[in-house]
Amino acid sequence: MKQIIRLKVNGSDEEIAVHTHHTLLEVLRTEYKFFGAREGCGIGMCGACTVLLDDKPTSSCILLAALAEGKQITTIEGLSEPGKLHPIQQAFIDHNAFQCSYCTPGFILSTKSLLAENPTPTVEEIRSYLAGNLCRCGSYYKIQAAVLDAAARMRGKTA
Amino acid sequence: MLDAEERVTGRINYTLNVELPAMLVGKILRSPFPHARIVRVDAGRAERLSGVGAVLTRDDFGARTGCSGRYGRVFRDQTVVAFDKVRFVGDPVAAVAALDEDTAAEALSLIEVDYDELPAVFDEAEALKPGASLVHDPRPEQQPMFSKIIEDLPGGSNLCSHFKLRRGDVEEGFRTSDFVFEDVFRSPAAQHVPLEPHVTAAHYAREKLTVWTSTQMPHAIRAQMAELFNLPLARVRVIVETLGGGFGSKGSLRLEPITAFLAMKARQPVKIVLSREEEFVTVCKHPATVRIKTGVMKDGALVARQVSADFNTGAYSDIGPVVARNGGSAMSGPYRIPHVRIDSRAVWTNVVPAGALRGFGVPQAVWAYESQMDMIAERLGLDPLEFRRKNLLREHDVFATGEELADIHFKELLDQAASSINWSSSDACWLNSERANQKRSALRRGKGLAMVIKATITPSTSAAALKLNEDGSLNVLISSVECGQGAKTVLAQIASHEMQIPLNHIAVSDPDTDLTPYDQQTSSSRTTYSMGSAITRAAGDLKRQLLDNAAEILEASPNDLVIENARVAVRGSAQRSLGYGEIARLSNQGNLIGRGAFSTRGGLDLQTGQGIGSVHWHQGAIGCEVEVDTETGKIKVLRLSPSVFAGHVVNRRLCELQLEGCAIFGLGQALFEEMIYGDHGQLLNVNLSDYNIPSFDDIPAEICAAALENASSEDLHGIGETLLPPVMAAIGNAVYNAVGVRLRDLPFTAEKVLRELGARAA
Repeated sequence: MKQIIRLKVNGSDEEIAVHTHHTLLEVLRTEYKFFGAREGCGIGMCGACTVLLDDKPTSSCILLAALAEGKQITTIEGLSEPGKLHPIQQAFIDHNAFQCSYCTPGFILSTKSLLAENPTPTVEEIRSYLAGNLCRCGSYYKIQAAVLDAAARMRGKTA
Repeated sequence: MLDAEERVTGRINYTLNVELPAMLVGKILRSPFPHARIVRVDAGRAERLSGVGAVLTRDDFGARTGCSGRYGRVFRDQTVVAFDKVRFVGDPVAAVAALDEDTAAEALSLIEVDYDELPAVFDEAEALKPGASLVHDPRPEQQPMFSKIIEDLPGGSNLCSHFKLRRGDVEEGFRTSDFVFEDVFRSPAAQHVPLEPHVTAAHYAREKLTVWTSTQMPHAIRAQMAELFNLPLARVRVIVETLGGGFGSKGSLRLEPITAFLAMKARQPVKIVLSREEEFVTVCKHPATVRIKTGVMKDGALVARQVSADFNTGAYSDIGPVVARNGGSAMSGPYRIPHVRIDSRAVWTNVVPAGALRGFGVPQAVWAYESQMDMIAERLGLDPLEFRRKNLLREHDVFATGEELADIHFKELLDQAASSINWSSSDACWLNSERANQKRSALRRGKGLAMVIKATITPSTSAAALKLNEDGSLNVLISSVECGQGAKTVLAQIASHEMQIPLNHIAVSDPDTDLTPYDQQTSSSRTTYSMGSAITRAAGDLKRQLLDNAAEILEASPNDLVIENARVAVRGSAQRSLGYGEIARLSNQGNLIGRGAFSTRGGLDLQTGQGIGSVHWHQGAIGCEVEVDTETGKIKVLRLSPSVFAGHVVNRRLCELQLEGCAIFGLGQALFEEMIYGDHGQLLNVNLSDYNIPSFDDIPAEICAAALENASSEDLHGIGETLLPPVMAAIGNAVYNAVGVRLRDLPFTAEKVLRELGARAA
């Protein structure tokens, strides 16, 4: 069964017909072709499908699309303009904070939320906040360095 | 990494993203029984369901269709879907392709299968008992290309393979030893968990099969698919995008046969993406039991070692016999042991098939021999660091395989690992006399060390083509797979260095077997070494062509020409020079293509295990410090210091990432990763909630990765796996030094530690 809902994805705002049992992740990938959100576990444990829902990191694999109605949805594709990088993305590049990068969009979006809540996180705070995003390649130390660096860059920018 | 921007913007393409016109969704029906005869498969209702493009069952194979449907890396023991029997819970029985997921799922529910249950064997010891239920009967046919690597055996048993290594006289060695110690260590099944699951899309049209697949072995997949479809290699095209992790899981045929047969039958492209739950029943690390007996003199000199190892390869052997061989051939460790006798077997059972996993049999081996090294040191009252130092292999020593070793750096590696955790002899709990008098808190700390020697696949072959374009830019055409290890970046660096072409003028291909030259596989930590060497040779060929063509154009002798700053110039006459692009244009060949191949030779005798096991041996050591909570049994790893011999480091940051990745991967296997089966062979923890992998919460506060180089050599050593195998023993040794608990079964769960602490107290 389909239902028409109003979704706001990466600045767009439109009515869309979705299956009532389809997750936000399925709709983002099949309808919007935003491939930056990826299924890793399907049960909200790994964070590879993380998107921001009203600026809060959310596992899109366990959220029915219909329940995201009216909320601002940001995927990695909506984080920056094409050709421009967000300071967090630049910090991830500069520290090579990834290997296979399947998890990277999730880490970057969670980092955005972390730094919005806490612009000066300690290493312990970073680790605690990002513990819900898994990196099987084990790039954690470079991710930690990238997040510290991104925080410093973003503070410098806003100061 | 070169493609970093695509990676942080989420735009990099994985096979997961592949979409084709009119593509159907494939799904697999799996066995609910560990071992059963299939009495009936009726797919009639599924076929009649609206929206179903094809249903694949055993009726699509056999003499009637001219398609055997049988495959397997070492033995042809697997079929596209189950024919007569199912052999583990999760074994594919049938498959459907339909317009969407929901229709495919509904169609699966309409397939009727009747089973007749058979007795099952789950454990490697049980499977080898006389009279045990046979997983395969008759014995499956061996692939001819493995006849010199794996000895074929008589049927009538679940014994799949038996690797033997015989050096010296182990009985005599035990007779002359002052002490002989025997211990048994076990490793459980564990998952690879690449975050990108297995994914395959396939299209069959006009007698040509095209497969997009998340694999580490494009050419091996092509060869096996060509055999299954009775097609020449040229009519099978395998395309591989970047992988969302592999770790060995994406090597053998997995989804390719089912997807491609569905596509052929449906006459439409089909794509299958495994769910995480299905990943768990697709491939895993070999559970293994390793019995190790070591003879030693009072002063700590190792004399003899006998090992009997059983690797549980599950229902289908995949590459298991080679895993058992690789683990077996390294069981003497990085030590001088005059007398060695090793028997390492792969055993068929009714559990999830086991295959290659980062380390390839060596993690199970090191877990055993490095734990035992500390146990022996304690029994002899020696410092485990000194005990290891005394026995280390040195330059020109002869290894257990009979080959002479060169470029050996175990001493520096051990010193590096020990100094990075400030090891002192009192860190061995049995040498710390003040320990008993210390006021103890519930949290106890301990340090541990472990070492590793590991082969890289030998013989092996890689080929590369360098296409120099009319503007002087370079296409590097290769079939190495980018799994996140940075292969494309490192190989571009090597091409750039050899050709003096800047990186922004170089593009490295993704594998496409229609276009890119042969490569054996992206595994065994071989890509930088093997493909890097092929690229260096291709660059040599290309430079020769540049010189020859420039000589003709400049009317000079090739001997008078020099290559400088991406130009060819007449020596001593700088104005008479040509850029690479000009030479390509003026050569009237369109572009210049340099070709290079690199292959290594070797092999071990089937009866004695003597020969060349590895073109060079990967070497590493690790130190760690842990804190054990004696009230909860929980282990916290405080520090890890992986040290590897890298020969020559091409990209330091990527090298660090490999070492850190290995250490963290090993930490998961040490502390909590274990596939748990129920009484009927069904896996109980098939998701990432019940099966944990390391997160930010689990990793040590500090990691200190070190890559040693040999300044006098340009030799490249692979570093992608070396530091995983010793992690478990290093942590085990540290736990022992912290609380005196010696575990012999991985992983070290808090429950096990607490139980042992309780037993000791009682």
